[in-house]
Amino acid sequence: MGKIVLVGRLAARDVRHRPAQAVLLLLAITAATAVLTLGLALHGVTSHPYQRTRAATSGPDVVAYLPVLHQPGHRSQPPSGATALIRTPGVTGHSGPYPLVGALVRAGKLTAGAEAEGREESAAAVDQPKLTSGTWVHPGGVVLERTFADALGVGTGDRITLNGRPFMVAGTAVTAANPPYPNLCYTGGGGCAAGPQDGNIPPGGLGLIWLTEPDARSIATSADPVAAYVLNLKLTNPAAAPAFAARYGSSDSPAAPSMASWQGIAAADGLLVQDEQQVLAPGAWLAALLAIASVAVLAGGRMAERTRRIGLLKAVGGTPGLTSLVLLAENLLLALLAAGAGLAAGWLAAPLITSPGAGLVGTPGAPSLTLPIAGEVVTVAVVVSLAATLVPAFRAARTSTVSALANAPRPPRRRSALIGLSARLPVPLLLGLRLVARRPRRALLGAASVAVTVTGIVAVLAFHATVGLRTSGAARGLGNPIIERDVQMLQIVTVVLITLAVFNAVFTAWATALDASRASALVRALGAAPRQVSAGISAAQLVPALPGALLGIPLGIGLFAAANHAGIVTVPPASWLAAAVLGTLLAVAVLASIPARIGARRPVSEILRADAA
Amino acid sequence: MQQEVVLALLAKEPSHGYELRARLRQALGPLGEAMNDGQVYVTLTRLEKAGLVTSEQAAGSPDRQDRKVYALTAAGQERVAGWLAEVSWPKPDLAEFHLKLIAAAAAGLADPLAIVDAQRRELLRRLRDAQRAAMAEPGRSAAGLLLEGIVLRLQADLRWLEACERNWTVRRSTS
Amino acid sequence: MTSTGEGPVLRARGLRREYGKGEALVRAVDGVSLDVAAGETVAVMGPSGCGKSTLLHLLGGLDRPTGGEVWLAGRSLGRLGERGLARLRRDAVGFVFQAFHLMDELTAVENVELPALLAGRSARAARRRAAGLLERVGLADRARFLPAALSGGQRQRVAIARALVGDPLVVLADEPTGNLDSEATLEVLRLFESLHTAGQTLVIVTHDSRIAATADRLIGMRDGVFVDETRLTGGTTGNLGALAGLEG
Repeated sequence: MGKIVLVGRLAARDVRHRPAQAVLLLLAITAATAVLTLGLALHGVTSHPYQRTRAATSGPDVVAYLPVLHQPGHRSQPPSGATALIRTPGVTGHSGPYPLVGALVRAGKLTAGAEAEGREESAAAVDQPKLTSGTWVHPGGVVLERTFADALGVGTGDRITLNGRPFMVAGTAVTAANPPYPNLCYTGGGGCAAGPQDGNIPPGGLGLIWLTEPDARSIATSADPVAAYVLNLKLTNPAAAPAFAARYGSSDSPAAPSMASWQGIAAADGLLVQDEQQVLAPGAWLAALLAIASVAVLAGGRMAERTRRIGLLKAVGGTPGLTSLVLLAENLLLALLAAGAGLAAGWLAAPLITSPGAGLVGTPGAPSLTLPIAGEVVTVAVVVSLAATLVPAFRAARTSTVSALANAPRPPRRRSALIGLSARLPVPLLLGLRLVARRPRRALLGAASVAVTVTGIVAVLAFHATVGLRTSGAARGLGNPIIERDVQMLQIVTVVLITLAVFNAVFTAWATALDASRASALVRALGAAPRQVSAGISAAQLVPALPGALLGIPLGIGLFAAANHAGIVTVPPASWLAAAVLGTLLAVAVLASIPARIGARRPVSEILRADAA
Repeated sequence: MQQEVVLALLAKEPSHGYELRARLRQALGPLGEAMNDGQVYVTLTRLEKAGLVTSEQAAGSPDRQDRKVYALTAAGQERVAGWLAEVSWPKPDLAEFHLKLIAAAAAGLADPLAIVDAQRRELLRRLRDAQRAAMAEPGRSAAGLLLEGIVLRLQADLRWLEACERNWTVRRSTS
Repeated sequence: MTSTGEGPVLRARGLRREYGKGEALVRAVDGVSLDVAAGETVAVMGPSGCGKSTLLHLLGGLDRPTGGEVWLAGRSLGRLGERGLARLRRDAVGFVFQAFHLMDELTAVENVELPALLAGRSARAARRRAAGLLERVGLADRARFLPAALSGGQRQRVAIARALVGDPLVVLADEPTGNLDSEATLEVLRLFESLHTAGQTLVIVTHDSRIAATADRLIGMRDGVFVDETRLTGGTTGNLGALAGLEG
């Protein structure tokens, strides 16, 4: 027990000794865990939205569409098939039949086609859409399916016209009986039974609107009569719904009812979700890689100092095991703190993304932070910090006490070729190249981080290039929620990646400046201007960053191709790619100059004196 | 000049007076320049009187000391052996300086610190000269070694004088 | 950088350097004035902690004084910005440190040529000058050795060669023999003597009386102020023989 206390105390004292480094480490891991939390929470949210909606709305197991044969002049009646279906063995409950009318919707400047479903004002037993805002239908008041409402840009209280008749939007709701806009007409989900016959309908899918039955009939015209009736059925065995639908429904003859099982509707619903996960998963991976790189740089940054402290510990009787434990405990402590902070940050951010305004499909309510999610995030944070600090800890434990106390950080290796080459270059490059030659592994890490960042950026550019072609064929004016959602996700992921990359660049430059502080002080004493020295440290980052950035281009395109199973990949234009690469390099140079400039301000005599002491 | 030095130089073989002088000169290097030639002969005369050395006149040469041939007697050889085995070190005159400072302070005749400073300056000048001479000597000459010894001793003496200065400064401030 | 010929090469008036505040205030240098003429060797002696190193750093522009001014060849250091100070260190001042401060991964000649490269000279010109200086200090055969393969005295000689690369007006040496044994000290002493003969202005800070004895002028320093000054040129009152125990 005493040993644990000792280790804990030593670790805590270490952290207090170097608060800046601890804070930086904390930030890096927090950013990564926040992304992870967000991803996992949203995954939970988006992975089973259909199930939740189904439960919340008493979703049907089978939806039957009963076509109506038109008799001009006569008020249409539900076909007799409805009663038969209701009485079919295996059916335990039903709602409807409800009339479906095709409607042309005008909301402000936008026009769209919709399927209007006539409903009762009271709640139905099966498929009672769950309101996400406003109230249920009443005379003159209609309810729009939530995603459709977002696409049209209308909300509760707005005015729209259906087939020329004015209505007020009473509210928005979600349902499990139909796939959401724009997948309403997905065949697996039952297809569209009614749509406006007007030739001016913009392509891109119909939306779903509920209104009172009298209102529905009132908008029926000779061109758009009541086209069908929809009947929602509940079965004793919901798992048998596809078999039921296959048996009793058929899409062959126009007179026969067509049916959709809830499994089919769920699949259609899932189309939207898949896209999101295609964006979130690679994004989370890239973010994790960057975080590991950050932590590795930080952990290695103060290695010399730490080696000496470990030597001291060993000299006063600590076993190699104890010293490694202290190192690991220190980083574990920080990782746990960071995981907590990241969890909190991610959880707080998630509702912002799933709020109705953001149009995430399918679920009422905020994503919940379940224990499994918390567990996963903490595990990842711990693994990331362990992975990055295991190597230094191991090496430190194996260093002999004497050499550790001698405080010789691994002496820089000599690279004659680079030294000879650098002599011919202008001073900043001379210094930068020699700095790179001293610590090639850190240069490699820097190159890898830049490569990861550019990969992410290029993947996003490829998305825009590809989707740019897609949207030109899609609904003009009307939003396409799939693409909007993807864009949103991409924006979030890009922001996180760039944030992590910024951290990374600053950390690496800081570690380099620190490592080179004696050398740079000496070089300043020999006559290099501080600006040349900070330019040199920036150059030390830029030299490995260039190949990293160039590597990121093919990797980014490859990543997008892999994530986009749909196949078509458009390579972004060269100007975009060049801008991405140059922008990244410029950012690296600027970010690297910050710690470099701070270090260059310290008076030379202070550094040299401290070294000689 | 220690008498025993001259005796030891005769231990190998009898030599002329001038040979002895030359050998001494060579061994002492630049310091030999300052050596008083007459000193050697005075010492030889004393040694002869003491019966440690005999002198012979070479046949046909004038009766001058530098032409005489000197040789060790048995007593002389014994003396040399004994001297070689002694371990006493040439005495530095610390006691005299120390007493000088105390006397000056007690009688109020002069400021001890001024005396110390003056002595320091003098020793520094000597150090400079000795050092110059040492560096002028080629590589590992014997004379160079001797000069190195002088330099190192002066250094040690200077360190003691610095200690004196510190000590007497404190004394003055506490008195 | 050409010297003006007239007037002192290095001048300081009322130099002060303070650290800390209030009770923890430390006056490392507390009102020092100094004139160094061209070709002169000045030694500053004092116990450790008396502020000698700080003074040297102030004289060479490695640190900025809290008060007072320094002039080098008539130009005030206080008016120079960081870039001007850097140029100063390249052309007008050469530094020699107690800890040598050589780059471990560079050979002797690469270490020596570094200031020239920093000054913008071509690689070839810098290499030529460095090789020449290494020959001057007697280490031409060790030009391609790493510092780890050199003895202490050799390392310091490389450092001195490096200090001379820019043909400086004044060489500032901070305890140059502090880390050396007596034989290495002799090597460095010889080098300083030859520099002195060649007319190089030297300011040496030391607590080793051997080094101090090579100077033309010896200044004692204690607690941040100069306490005395000795001119060492001119003969001594005693003779060397007496020092050896030879009665004169």
